[in-house]
Amino acid sequence: MLVDFELIIRARDGDGAAFNQLVLAYRKRILGTIGRLIGHPEDVEDVGQEVFLRLYFSLDQLRSAEVFEPWLYRLTSNAAYDYLRKRRRRMESRMADLSEQQVTVADALASTKVDHEEGQRKAIRETVDSLLDGVSEEDRVLLMMKEVEGLSLKELGKIYHVNENALKVRLFRARQRVLKSFRSSRKTAAGLGGSR
Amino acid sequence: MDHQEDLMGDSEGRLNEERLDALFQTYRKAFPDPEPTANFMPQLWQKIEARERTSSVFAHLARNIVTAALALSSILALVVTVSHSHAAALPSETYVEVLEEDHARQNLDYFEPVHVEPIAEHR
Repeated sequence: MLVDFELIIRARDGDGAAFNQLVLAYRKRILGTIGRLIGHPEDVEDVGQEVFLRLYFSLDQLRSAEVFEPWLYRLTSNAAYDYLRKRRRRMESRMADLSEQQVTVADALASTKVDHEEGQRKAIRETVDSLLDGVSEEDRVLLMMKEVEGLSLKELGKIYHVNENALKVRLFRARQRVLKSFRSSRKTAAGLGGSR
Repeated sequence: MDHQEDLMGDSEGRLNEERLDALFQTYRKAFPDPEPTANFMPQLWQKIEARERTSSVFAHLARNIVTAALALSSILALVVTVSHSHAAALPSETYVEVLEEDHARQNLDYFEPVHVEPIAEHR
């Protein structure tokens, strides 16, 4: 816990200053999680503000201060999930408007603008993005919370109000799908390397 | 031979699992928690206030609708009460009964024996 229970109770009871302190304490961590979940730095603050906005209007329903963090993580993963769904819809319609050649040119132009380190980060992000393309947005968020954010099954169970065994099965299936595309991408890369 | 292939497949599978874990960890390290911009808090409060304004407009609208509905139902109740009191002033017989009565009265007009006074006796 980054704050004490009293602050959470005060914020829940409508104390604006306490809510402000709560946001100041958690915003960096939440923005980091969102950034890794959605993979688009330009939209991280927007989604982060949406999380705290939802928190502000739902805080009065919080039963006890102990469940505050799972509650906040739940809001975070819901906001990230909503963003990913909307983005996928937007991308589908935008891609339908562009020809393949235009997309390639746009990608090439974008990549020449970034420096080497940023290029590496971009490459890592694209690799993770393409691996997670084969799973649904829900599973993507769940898998990232477990594998990247490092949350335990118990913590995930508290966040999603789901039985740990059910979560284990779901995570296993999602991971198998990701592993499958990981294997095939490695095979493709090895094939390209061998042909040179 | 098959056993050897299975073993190779297992070790390959484990290796891929480890590589995937390593990729997730690299991703985690490549994207540490960012510092929020100076606009984060002011923008957040602006959004909160805007949402509060919108919800207060909706609450106001909902209150007005409820008031209008109450007024309308009061008027309707009044109309129904007045029409009931008018109905009480009307005859209690049914239409058929009224017709029958009217018919009977008309029959009397036609078939009432005419009282004829003997003229001769007067003389």
